[in-house]
Amino acid sequence: MTTVAPVTAASTLPRRRRADGLRRLLARTDGLIGVAILVIFGLLALAPTLFVGPLQDVVTATGLPLDPPSAAALLGTDELGRDMVNITVHGARISMSIGLMATIITILLGTVVGIVAGYVGGVTDALLMRFSDFLLVLPTVVLALILAPVLDAVVGEGAELFGIRSTLLIVVVVIGLTSWPSCARVIRSQVLSLKERMFVDRARVVGSGPGWIMRRHILPNVVNLVVAQAVLTFASAVFTETTLAFIGLGDPAAPSWGQVLNAAQTAGAPGLGAWWYVLPPAACVVLVVLAFTLVGNALDDVLNPRARGRR
Amino acid sequence: MTEPVRPDALRPDPALIRGRRQWPLPRQADPSAPLLEVENLAVRFKMPGGSVKAVDGVSFRLDDGEALGIAGESGCGKTTTALSLVQLLPANGRIRSGSVKLFGIDLAQKSERQLNRYRWREISLVFQGAMNALNPVQRVGHQVAEPIEVRLGQSREASRRRAAELLDLVGIPAARASAYPHELSGGMRQRAMIAMALACDPAIVIGDEPTTALDVMVQAQILQLLEQLRRDLGLSLMLITHDLSVIAETCDRVMIMYAGRVAEEGPVRRVFTAPRHPYTRRLLSAFPNIHADRRTLEVIPGQLPDLRNPPPGCRFAPRCAEAMAVCSTEVPAEVRFDDGVRVACHLFPSGAAATAETAAPLTVPAGAAVEGAR
Repeated sequence: MTTVAPVTAASTLPRRRRADGLRRLLARTDGLIGVAILVIFGLLALAPTLFVGPLQDVVTATGLPLDPPSAAALLGTDELGRDMVNITVHGARISMSIGLMATIITILLGTVVGIVAGYVGGVTDALLMRFSDFLLVLPTVVLALILAPVLDAVVGEGAELFGIRSTLLIVVVVIGLTSWPSCARVIRSQVLSLKERMFVDRARVVGSGPGWIMRRHILPNVVNLVVAQAVLTFASAVFTETTLAFIGLGDPAAPSWGQVLNAAQTAGAPGLGAWWYVLPPAACVVLVVLAFTLVGNALDDVLNPRARGRR
Repeated sequence: MTEPVRPDALRPDPALIRGRRQWPLPRQADPSAPLLEVENLAVRFKMPGGSVKAVDGVSFRLDDGEALGIAGESGCGKTTTALSLVQLLPANGRIRSGSVKLFGIDLAQKSERQLNRYRWREISLVFQGAMNALNPVQRVGHQVAEPIEVRLGQSREASRRRAAELLDLVGIPAARASAYPHELSGGMRQRAMIAMALACDPAIVIGDEPTTALDVMVQAQILQLLEQLRRDLGLSLMLITHDLSVIAETCDRVMIMYAGRVAEEGPVRRVFTAPRHPYTRRLLSAFPNIHADRRTLEVIPGQLPDLRNPPPGCRFAPRCAEAMAVCSTEVPAEVRFDDGVRVACHLFPSGAAATAETAAPLTVPAGAAVEGAR
C-alpha cells in the first residue's frame, strides 16, 4: 500500500490579517471618510493646547464679548470674549473622553452579559435579560437628573472620584448603565445561534468547559459585532453627553460641546443672532457621530467572516 | 487506488496494541476483556408524539485494531448507536437499557463527569461535515491543539507543538496549521478533523460519515489515511456510512442496521458476497455497480417505520418481499452462523439449519457482488 500523499496546497496566504482588515476598511469610501474625521478629532482631543493654546477663561480671554467671526477670532467669541476655536477644540477632549469611558463600560458589560446569557441560557438568561430590560426602559436623562444630586450629596459637590469630577462620572455611569442592555441583546441573539453550531458541540465533546468555550469559541465569533457596537455606542455616548451637558449636567470648569451649547443658550446666543456661538460645537457633535456611524457600518462589513471568506 | 489488501493482514496483534497505549488502562479495567462490547443497547428519544425507539437491543463487539462498518439507510440508528457509546446524544436522548463495556467497564452507568475520563482519551470522533465542526474564526492548528490542552492539561505551547505533529501525520504541512478552516480544501479539513480525533491517542475512533460530501479521489485519500493510521497506531475504527463501498474498502466486519436493530453482522466478505437477511440483499442491490449492465437500481419499496410505534414483529416485515405470517408478530432472534455472520430473520430459524453454503444460493441480486468484497 502506498503512503498517503500529502495534499499540496498554495502556501501563499495573507499573513498579516489585522493590517489587511484596516486596509479593506480604508478602501471603502465610508470607512475612509469616517476614519479621517475621527483621526482629526482624536488629535485635537489628545493635545488641544498644541493646536490652540491653553483653555481660555474670563481672565485670559482674547476678544470682545460675542464678537462675530473675524481674522482675529475665526469663529467669533462667546459672551466672555473667549475664542470659539479655542473652546470648541478643548471641548473635544471632554466630549470624547466621556464617550470613550462610557463605551468601555457599555461594551464590557454588554459583551459579558450577552455571551453568558446566550450561552448559559435558562434561569441565568432570564434573570440577566429581565434586569437588562429594566435598565433598557430607564430614560437616560431622568436617571442622570436623579443620580447627580445623590452623588453630590454622597461625595460632596465638585469632589473627584478616580481623578474624574463627580459630575462627569455621573454622566459616564449613566450612559454606560443605560446603553449596555441593547448591546447585550444584540450579542446574545448572535450567541444563541452560534451555540447551536456544530463546532460548539465538538468543543464540548473534546472536553472544553463553558468558560473556555465562551472565551475561545463564542467571543472570537462575535468580535465583529462587538467592534461595530462599540463604534456605534461611542457615537451615541457623545450625543448623550451633549444632551446631558446641555440641560446642565456638565462640569462648567471643563467645557464639553454640550456644555458650550448650554452656555450659548444661557447667554441667549440664538436670540442675539450669534450663530457662531452655537454652530461650531453642534457641527462637531454631528461630524463625530456621523464619522462613528460610517466607521461602524464599514467595520460591520469588513469584519464579517463570511465576507472575509469570499475575498 | 492501490491493490486491495486483505483486511486480516492489516490487523495488528492485540497485545501489541494495548502495549502501545500512551495512557495506562483505567483502574477498573479488565485486561482480558474485549476492547468494546455493547450488549442490548436501547436508546430512546423523547418526542412530542411519544418516545422514539431509535436503537433497540443492539449488540456488537469491537476488538483491538479492528474496523467495524455500520451501514443502513438514513434514520436507522447508526449515528445514534455510535454517539450513545460516550453518551453524546441530543438532550432528549437517553440510554434506556443495555451496557457499553470498554475494557470491561460499563460506560452506560457512568455519570457525565466520569464519562469525561473516557471521551476523546479512549473514544474519539471524526465528525460528519468538517466545515461545521471547525470554528470558522480559529486557526486549524489551535483547534487541533484544543483537546490536548483541555483533556490532557498540557501547556499551550506543548499542545500546539503536538498539534503540528498530528497535522503532519495526517498529511497537512505544519505551515498550514495557521490557516483558517475556510482556507483549506474539503479534504484538508477532514484531515484536520482526523488529526483532532487522534489528539489524545484514543483506543477507538468513530468516523461518522467521514467521507460524505468529498469527491471520490479525496474520499480515497481519506480512507487510505484512516487505514494507514489504523495500522500504524493500532487504532480500532468504527465507520458509520451509507456508502457500502467505503465499508468494503476499509472494514473487517460490517453491521447492517435497520430501524434501530441489527439485521445482519459479520465479516465484510461473507456479508457482501452471501447476504442472508432480505434487507441486506435489497440494500446491496440498491447500490450501483460499475461493472454490471446499466439498469435501473432496485429501490426498496415503502419507508422506515415510525419508530414511535414500530411494527410488533420484525421491523422490516412491512417492506419485505419474503415476509411470512410469523414476521409481523414475533421479533426474530439473532442466529449466529459458522462463518461468523449473525442474522436476525425468521428465514433462518437456527444457525445449524442454514450454513453459509445453503445461504449463498438464495437469489443474490446481480448488484450484490460488490467489488470491494474481495
